[in-house]
Amino acid sequence: MENILKLTQINKSFPGVKALSDVNLTVKKGEVHALVGENGAGKSTLMKIISGAYKKDSGTVWFDGKEIENTTPKQSEMMGISIIYQELNLIERISVAENVFIGRYPMKHGMVQWKKMYQDAQKLFDEYELKMDAHSLVRSLTMAQKQMVEIIKAVSINAKIIIMDEPTSSLSGKETESLFRIIRKLKSRGVAVVFITHRLDEIFEICDHMTVLRDGHYVGERDIKDITKDEMITMMIGRELTQQYPERTNPIGEVTLAVKNITDGSSRVKNVSFEVHKGEVLGFYGLVGAGRTETMRMIFGVDPLAGGEIFINGEKHVIRSPRDAIHFGMGFVTENRRDEGLFLRSSVRVNTVMVALRKILKKGFINYRIEADVAKKYVDMLHTATPSIDQKTMFLSGGNQQKVVLSKWLFSDSDIIIFDEPTRGIDVGARREIYEIINALVADGKTVVMISSDMEEIMGVSDRILVMYEGTIAGEIQKEDFSQDLITKYAVGERSVRV
Amino acid sequence: MKLKSNKNMFALIMDKLGSWSLLILIGVVMAFANSKFLTSSNILNVLRQIAVVTIGAVGVSFVILGGGFDLSTGMIATFAGCNSAALIVNHGWPILPAMLFAIAIGVVIGSINGVLITHMKIAPFICTLGMQYVVNGLILVTTKSVPITGLPEAYLYLGRGFIFDVFPVPVAIMLLFVLVGHILLKYTIFGRSIIAIGENEVAAKLSGLNVNLVKVAMYAFCGFCVSCAGIVLAARLSSGQPTSGADLSLQAIAAVYIGGTFQGSVVNTMAGALVWGFMNNALNLMNVNAYWQKVALGIIIIIAVLFDAFRAKLAMQKKS
Repeated sequence: MENILKLTQINKSFPGVKALSDVNLTVKKGEVHALVGENGAGKSTLMKIISGAYKKDSGTVWFDGKEIENTTPKQSEMMGISIIYQELNLIERISVAENVFIGRYPMKHGMVQWKKMYQDAQKLFDEYELKMDAHSLVRSLTMAQKQMVEIIKAVSINAKIIIMDEPTSSLSGKETESLFRIIRKLKSRGVAVVFITHRLDEIFEICDHMTVLRDGHYVGERDIKDITKDEMITMMIGRELTQQYPERTNPIGEVTLAVKNITDGSSRVKNVSFEVHKGEVLGFYGLVGAGRTETMRMIFGVDPLAGGEIFINGEKHVIRSPRDAIHFGMGFVTENRRDEGLFLRSSVRVNTVMVALRKILKKGFINYRIEADVAKKYVDMLHTATPSIDQKTMFLSGGNQQKVVLSKWLFSDSDIIIFDEPTRGIDVGARREIYEIINALVADGKTVVMISSDMEEIMGVSDRILVMYEGTIAGEIQKEDFSQDLITKYAVGERSVRV
Repeated sequence: MKLKSNKNMFALIMDKLGSWSLLILIGVVMAFANSKFLTSSNILNVLRQIAVVTIGAVGVSFVILGGGFDLSTGMIATFAGCNSAALIVNHGWPILPAMLFAIAIGVVIGSINGVLITHMKIAPFICTLGMQYVVNGLILVTTKSVPITGLPEAYLYLGRGFIFDVFPVPVAIMLLFVLVGHILLKYTIFGRSIIAIGENEVAAKLSGLNVNLVKVAMYAFCGFCVSCAGIVLAARLSSGQPTSGADLSLQAIAAVYIGGTFQGSVVNTMAGALVWGFMNNALNLMNVNAYWQKVALGIIIIIAVLFDAFRAKLAMQKKS
């Protein structure tokens, strides 16, 4: 069959990171094509290059027999490339039909033909056997229904290819079934679908062909009928550990933090229990959306706990706010350091003392000399590269910003430090420094919990790994049993044990 | 290279001086344009004129730097002036308790603003707009829209007196408020917390600051400052005037914004009030029609805010 989309030798770099190197993707007309890879493999970047949201550095994109270059997302949509993101792009306050025809309302004498619009939209829904009223407000729909509206919108623009970014991640089993029904229907009409997913079963169920990306590289492509699940996993992860992780030999002590059956009241965190010890690095692995960050936010008091108990050094505590968590000796290096960790317009010194303002008081007033001494101490200790302690943190590189965030937790004497993706967006050299700091922390008798989506990192740094899958802890792996294969199996729900 | 270092120099000066440079500009231009401008009597006169606004603006600075907004300050000030006057004149209270009670009412109203905004999650703009009308109504109810006159000499001294027959008392009170406000903002945990919350509320919460409490306290403090301003205003006008403070809210906000909010401070707010006061004065001295003065003052606010944005942009670009 004829190709509808063909990408060859696509390259894309961001400052400090090579996101895609020589990536190929060929999608045939009327094919359901799986695009798979771990978190950070480059799937989203590739999608954005196809839509025109990102500009490629080099390579060619052929669509429908023509080479396309420098298109805007709007233009590519009009040419027939529709993308359905995980964050749906609908306007909640207006009707389904208006969303389908937004920007393309049927007009007559400069007036919108409302009746025609509703009829046309309803016709499309009926055609795809969707039980939906074109008049209903998007607000009143379920996540799955909203996704259908996006698909119908794509159909109404005569999309020739629809790219779906993890469409099933927020759907129930039944909803997934009806999504697949629609996909089969699209396929029968010659529309190609690119299906991004982590769930291997779904690939076998719905896809014809697959392309695998890993670390921004093209690994290969296969017909689904010729591949086994094990081969698929090997393609996704099959590589040796390349980065160097510093050795660690400190003893592991008693339990410092114990969490029993915590639940967030919805389905993002379900009965999570674990213990972590003094001097230990406990890794949390899982796919995006598995509930790792949500779990940590509840433990740190950012989001309310719907159920469960938290014990610190053997004592049960109620943590209602980050303030309480800090009081009990916890620190939280958040994933999003620019929005949640730092005061970007403020200097290194102001950021360093923010958690423990009390410690720089002298006779009840803030003492700027103590503040400066403290800031200097941590700049020296963590080797933060900054021209001075008065530098605004927005001008520091990612790695140095992370060190400033860390110094505020060190200065506040946190004993249990939670790191959420501590090396995201940080270059390789600075990463190693962060690992060394983590080692120094546990050697000093502190407890570290680290969330990471980087398989090598989590295996290189942790003493023990917990893998989360859909809000539960799917498995626990001791250091001697670490293997990419095992971790991946837990993470995609292939395997689970009660812990 | 030369050019670049010049640019950095310029950025640095702007960063340090801020709106004081506007004030210097007005001073230099007017020193040549009008011989009456740089006389001590003229300067003291301008200081007297801006004293009430500046006292209130100290409180408003805290609110705006803390990421909030307060439109009700003018009415809270008026309410405090009228309440203290009514307690003294109509109910025979001694001066000090009457003032303290009037100020306490202002603090309570400020706290209510704070609680509504933090705990009930009402947008500060709308919440304080509503509060402005509530307080306005209360003033009309309690005064029946009639000015309360016959205040004792000791009360009037706060607004009309002179220390050693030279230095105006309201200006002294203003300087005291600026000093205390400055210390509170720069040298206490409360002040640090306000700046942090104004910059990034999420990060402030995650850093363990008691965000809600600080925000309520900041509105309460604002209520305190503007109530004091209202009492000084009543003393200046020799009466509790039910309509006196209507313009105060916006003038105080203007002072804060002219002073600059990018690296805001109480001292900068005073600069903002001074720019406003001296600009007014300069236009008067040059016999500019009063209606056109309004236009000119409005333009000053816009220019000052543009200038602050420009300063912020320069500071953000400052790579090293």
